[in-house]
Formats: sequence, structure tokens, C-alpha cells
Amino acid sequence: MRRLLALATVAFAVATVTPQGPAAAETLRVGTECTYHPFNFRDENGELQGYDIDVAKAIGDHLGVEIEFHCQKWDGMIPALLANKFDLIVASMSITDQRKQKIDFSDPYRVSIGQFIGAKEKDLMFFNEDGSVNEAGFEGVKIGLQRATTYDNWIQARAPNAEVVRYDAIEALYLDLQNGRVDAIMTNPMKAYLKFLSQPEGAGFEVVGPQIEETEFFGIGVGVGLRKGNDELLSRINEGIRQVTEDGSLEVFARKHFPFTIHPQKWQGTE
Amino acid sequence: MTFDVFLILNSIPTMIEGLGITLKLLFLSTVIGLALAVVTLLMRLSGHWLLTWPAMFYIYIFRGTPILVQIFIIYHGLPQFEFIREGVLWPLLREPFGCCVVALSLNAGAYVSEILRGGVLGVDRGLHEAGKALGLSTPHRFIYITTPIAVRLAIPAYSNDFISMLKATALASTVTLMDMTGVARTIVAKTFAPYEIFIAAAIVYLCFTWTFQRGFGLLERYMSRYVKKDA
Repeated sequence: MRRLLALATVAFAVATVTPQGPAAAETLRVGTECTYHPFNFRDENGELQGYDIDVAKAIGDHLGVEIEFHCQKWDGMIPALLANKFDLIVASMSITDQRKQKIDFSDPYRVSIGQFIGAKEKDLMFFNEDGSVNEAGFEGVKIGLQRATTYDNWIQARAPNAEVVRYDAIEALYLDLQNGRVDAIMTNPMKAYLKFLSQPEGAGFEVVGPQIEETEFFGIGVGVGLRKGNDELLSRINEGIRQVTEDGSLEVFARKHFPFTIHPQKWQGTE
Repeated sequence: MTFDVFLILNSIPTMIEGLGITLKLLFLSTVIGLALAVVTLLMRLSGHWLLTWPAMFYIYIFRGTPILVQIFIIYHGLPQFEFIREGVLWPLLREPFGCCVVALSLNAGAYVSEILRGGVLGVDRGLHEAGKALGLSTPHRFIYITTPIAVRLAIPAYSNDFISMLKATALASTVTLMDMTGVARTIVAKTFAPYEIFIAAAIVYLCFTWTFQRGFGLLERYMSRYVKKDA
């Protein structure tokens, strides 16, 4: 009996120190919403698809483990991770200080960005050739955005001479852009592409200038969430994210849904 | 919950920035509304169905729907039509301020015409007959006998409507106007302190309501200066 216990202890120790991380199971359970198009959703055959799903599978390939998806409602996502219902959250969850108090995050695999959208024929020049802000281009231009958002903060800091019109709902923003009440809007280009630019009513409009990726305004982005204390696994996931960023996989995943990329342009380790 | 009294006091000066738009909205739409109300009233009193029916229809529509819905229809709805966007009224309707003035004026017109009608109907029949006996024509009787009395009778109800209009201007903040409520909502979104900021806004509104109430009270007293006071 004692020998058996010793054996079990050794087996347990081996299991925990092997570099495979959770190799004991050979599968990593991933929590995601399954309802958030186009990041994690079921296609018409009931198969899980989307950017988050692709990223999770790629990380699984890198770690050499099976990925098993668990569908979980958004408000219970972090509690379910903490209750060990699954091992990772890959659900378009933005990295915030508040969430970091409960769980750890990997490096970002998707950015938080802002971008301008305006009428094609207006020739808006908000940026110089080198990508810096062209303040003169904002002179006498009406910019629509949602009240007190990160975009509001950005424009007040970077283009204080623009005339800002503040909206409550994003739908009204698109409508007034179409109606010509505002010359351009500043928003999240992913949402704007799905709801507006790719639709018939968005035909005469386009993105103006580059994706703005300033983390002090928009945050670090979206990362993989995991329970605290799994530093070994975390560093291996970060290595995986670095790999899929650099080998172009993230670009391939994004271009299934968008005509642009949505990951950090340079792989950036978190502090 | 923390409650910051200083935040209330500090936010009032910022709130005053929106006061200009609130008062402009109020005065423009009450003046235009009053003009509309007089026209509608005359149409209703004309006794000819071609004039009465459109007036009644207009009153029914604008009294029967919420101002917020009217503002949304005018602001979001009208630009859906090509001919509106190409039309002469577009410079007015393009601006949220113009849309709100249109909506509030039309609304005021409908309510105030009913208030005035109440005043007109309240004028004693005997006075009409006396005027007739003196040989005054119908327009003369309306201008010199009916109007002064009807106005006096209508003032209490009108002041009520005027104060309602002051509060209705807050709805302009839903279509991006930075009136006092719009400014307040923006501060709330930044400070996450809804109680303090909205209490500050309420204080400013109350100050104006009090002023207008006093003003109408004085006007009422002035208009009633010949009325014998019942003990």
C-alpha cells in the first residue's frame, strides 16, 4: 500500500513537472461563448467557427494538445474558469486591470483599435504620409462618435480642433453618416465593417487613415485568459501567440471575416 | 455609496455651457408654437370643415404622440427620403437643433391652441351680446372683447405648458444636442457619478422653473388688474 502511494506521488510529480503543462489530460478545455459572430459562433452545420476558435486551435497545435471547446455564457465566463470547468478562456475577452485581479492574460492576439470612416468622395485627410495626425485635416469637419468612449478621449487628445458630435447608439452614428449630418465617424472598424461597410448602405463609404493602435487609449487588446499560477502554461501560450503572429496565421484567420488584419502589427510581449 | 457634494457644485458651471441651447430651444419653439397655435385656433373657430378638420387632425397627431417619438421621426425618419435631403428644408433638418425646434414648435402649437380655445370658450356669452348691441363687427368683437379676456383665462394653463416645454427641451440631448441635459449626460459618462451630476442639472432646471413661475404670476396679476377680487 505504501509503495503504491509512493508510486502515485512520483507519477503525480512527473506529471506536474513535464513540460507538456496539462499533459496529464492531453486536452485543454477552452471556454468560449459560441454565439459571438465572427469570433466564436456555430456555422450552419453546427461546427464552431471564428477567429477565437482558429486561434485556440492554433495554440493547441503549438502546445501539442487536443482542444475541447465548452460553451459558456459571458457573465459566467470568469467564474467558470475559476471553478475549473475549463482551462482557458478564448472568447474575445479584452485585457483589463479589473479582470487581471482575478485571472491571468496572455499577450494580445487581437487589437483594440479605432479608425475613421467617411464618404469616399470627400477626400478626408486626417493623417500625413508618415501616419501622424494631420490636425489641419480636422478643421471644420464633423466627427461622430459614441459619447465618452475611448474614441472620444483619443480625438480630444490628438485632434482637439475637430467638431465632435456625440451619440448614444451606434446605429444612429451610421445613419447620420449616410445622411451627411457628420463627415466621418470614429469607431471600431470590425463592428463598422460587419454592420455597415459590408452592407448595401455602406457602399459609398470607406475607412479613412490607418488603424489607430494606441494602447494608452484603446487598451492592450484581447488575450487568452487562464487561472493564476499557471506561469509555465502562460509562457508557452505566449510563445504560441508569438508564433502565429509572426508566421502569418493570424492574418489568415482575420481575412476569413474581414478585409483587414486585426492583430497587433508587431508582436508585443506584455509587461 | 459615496456622495460628493462638491461635485454637484463644481459641475454646475460646466452645466451652464448647455444653458444657451436649452434657452434658445425653449424661446424659439414657444414663439413659433404660439404663432402656430393662434393659426390653428382661428382655423378651429372658423366653423368651416375645410379649416376645422385639418386643425383637429394636427392637434390629434401632436397631442397623441410622445415628443420623443416626434423628435425621432423628424430627426431620424425624414432624412430617409431623398426629396427631403435634396429639398429646401434640408439645411434646417440637417442640424439637430433645427429638428428639435421643429418638433417642439409643432408640439407646443397643438397644446397651446387647445389652451387658447379653452380661454376663448370661457368668455361670457353676455359680453358678445353686449358687443353686438353696441354695433361691433365680428373681428372687432374678437380682438377687443374676446382676446383680452381669453388671454387672461388662458395664462395659468399656458404657464404650465411653458414649464413643460422647458423640461421637454431635455429630450434634445437624445439627438446629439449639447443642451443642459446633454452636457450632464456627457459628464456622467466621464465621472460615473450620475446622482451628483443629475442633481446639479435638476437644481439649474428648478431655478429656471421658479423664475418663469414668478414671471407668469406677475403677468397674471397684471392681466387681472381690472377683475374684482372676490373676498
